[in-house]
Amino acid sequence: MDNEYLMDEPKSEINWRAVHQLQLGGSAFIVFLMVGIWAASGFGTFWPVWVWFGLSVPLIVQYAIRRGLDGPRRWRALSVHAALACAVGVILTLIWFLTGFGFWLFWPLFGMAAALILHAFGTAWWRALHPKREQELTERVDVLTRTRRGALDAQAAELRRIERDLHDGAQARLVALSMQLGRAEDRLEEHPEAAELVRNARVEASNAIKELRDLARGIAPPVLSDRGLPAAVEALGERSALPVKVNARLGRRLSPVVESAAYFVVAESLTNAAKYAPGAAARVSLFEESGRLVVEVDDSGPGGADPAGSGLSGLKSRVEALDGILVVVSNPGEGTTVHAELPCE
Amino acid sequence: MRVVIAEDQALLREGIVALLRDKGIDVVAQAEDGPGLLRVLSGHKPDLAIVDVRLPPTFTDEGIRAALEARAKYPGMGVLILSAYVEPVYTAELLDSGGEGGVGYLLKERVGDVKAFVAAVESVAKGGTALDREVVSELVRRRDPDGRDGALSALTPREREVLGLMAEGRTNTAIARALVVTPGAVEKHISNIFSKLDLPASDEDHRRVLAVLAYLRSG
Repeated sequence: MDNEYLMDEPKSEINWRAVHQLQLGGSAFIVFLMVGIWAASGFGTFWPVWVWFGLSVPLIVQYAIRRGLDGPRRWRALSVHAALACAVGVILTLIWFLTGFGFWLFWPLFGMAAALILHAFGTAWWRALHPKREQELTERVDVLTRTRRGALDAQAAELRRIERDLHDGAQARLVALSMQLGRAEDRLEEHPEAAELVRNARVEASNAIKELRDLARGIAPPVLSDRGLPAAVEALGERSALPVKVNARLGRRLSPVVESAAYFVVAESLTNAAKYAPGAAARVSLFEESGRLVVEVDDSGPGGADPAGSGLSGLKSRVEALDGILVVVSNPGEGTTVHAELPCE
Repeated sequence: MRVVIAEDQALLREGIVALLRDKGIDVVAQAEDGPGLLRVLSGHKPDLAIVDVRLPPTFTDEGIRAALEARAKYPGMGVLILSAYVEPVYTAELLDSGGEGGVGYLLKERVGDVKAFVAAVESVAKGGTALDREVVSELVRRRDPDGRDGALSALTPREREVLGLMAEGRTNTAIARALVVTPGAVEKHISNIFSKLDLPASDEDHRRVLAVLAYLRSG
């Protein structure tokens, strides 16, 4: 089942290894063919060597460029230059050798070496003038990572504060109101019509309380801050319309922002499962592995979920904002698996 | 009847006290947090403690923890939890905590329905059970997703209604009033439910509720 995620990787890239092997195989075939033709045409001057030379040129150039591109990013232009210079040098040497040492090899090689040395000096000089560019970028990435995390933590704290304020403020006042209405209703037994009006007002107050409660739960579920992720996920499982098996192994509390992201991954996945896979069973697992919190929700429904659907893509951006990943595997007929990993060190 | 209240918000605490006093129920002490509750309990030995889930200093589940501790310490005392939200985890902890005293878990806004609230207070003080209908509907739904559970789906819609009301801790008379039928009809429904679910019959309201809850939670 773990391998399923690998199947989700994009496959758009050309398989260069296969292309190169094809090229090598083709070249080898032509080499033997030429030798055969040379032998069949009664030997004579060994001309196939020129065909070999022609075939080797693109191979040498390709090899040189690939090696050149492997160099460190900051020196890449120079390393490609050096590789190409070597390639041209090798090709010139080959020509020189094949033409029976017919020209003076020194000057072209000397020219190329001079150009390369100039380039090297130029690069070194430029880097000396801008020594901190790389370092600056690294520091900038650190700052951005830290401030983004800080912003997310602040947001999570703010949401909890709003939930608390709803509870202590508007909700409490409405409860007090409904109590007073209840007492008024109780004293109006002699006046059924007035009692009816007061009762209606009380029911309205109750509805408002219920709406506030649903709102608060959507913002920051109280059981999550009270009891932590495993208990909150258990509660989600119990509340779900599907039979849900929860396997949550966590030895410690994680940061609020990670807990809440994981909570909403499970909540949204279970809601989707109940909506699109009624009658299926669902399974939630939750564990920490080498500094990452792994959350997985799978159901035995019909599969075929659209990972670009608004709920799932919202989850994805939530998880990615924490440098996590979220993968949805939902092949038709094979159920749906939502797998998320969140760094939690 | 002697009642103690633990609620940190004065507005609500005073509201509940006034409402209970209207009904002749004596609120002997008030507390604002968990430790405070345990302190006043040792002095007053009340019949019932009404406890808010979210109390200082942690403002999380302080009330539930204090209530569980109180239940263990004073086995005969009833505990009625008031909460702004239904949390299955807390209900389960409360129901599993054993003890002989009554237990209740109600949403705060139920206090506004004075008759029902006072009935719940009296029932829990006497060792009964009073669960919020949202708690019960969650238990029933969990037990019976899409009616695939054989035993529950054998019940008629009316019997399921009666089962829900029974699980809330209501007496036969209260169920009859809520459904606008005669107490005799309610008794008949109840005996049908017990035979269909294969539950041990009992005349005592409280045992009966426990049997129904045990059945619903066994899912």
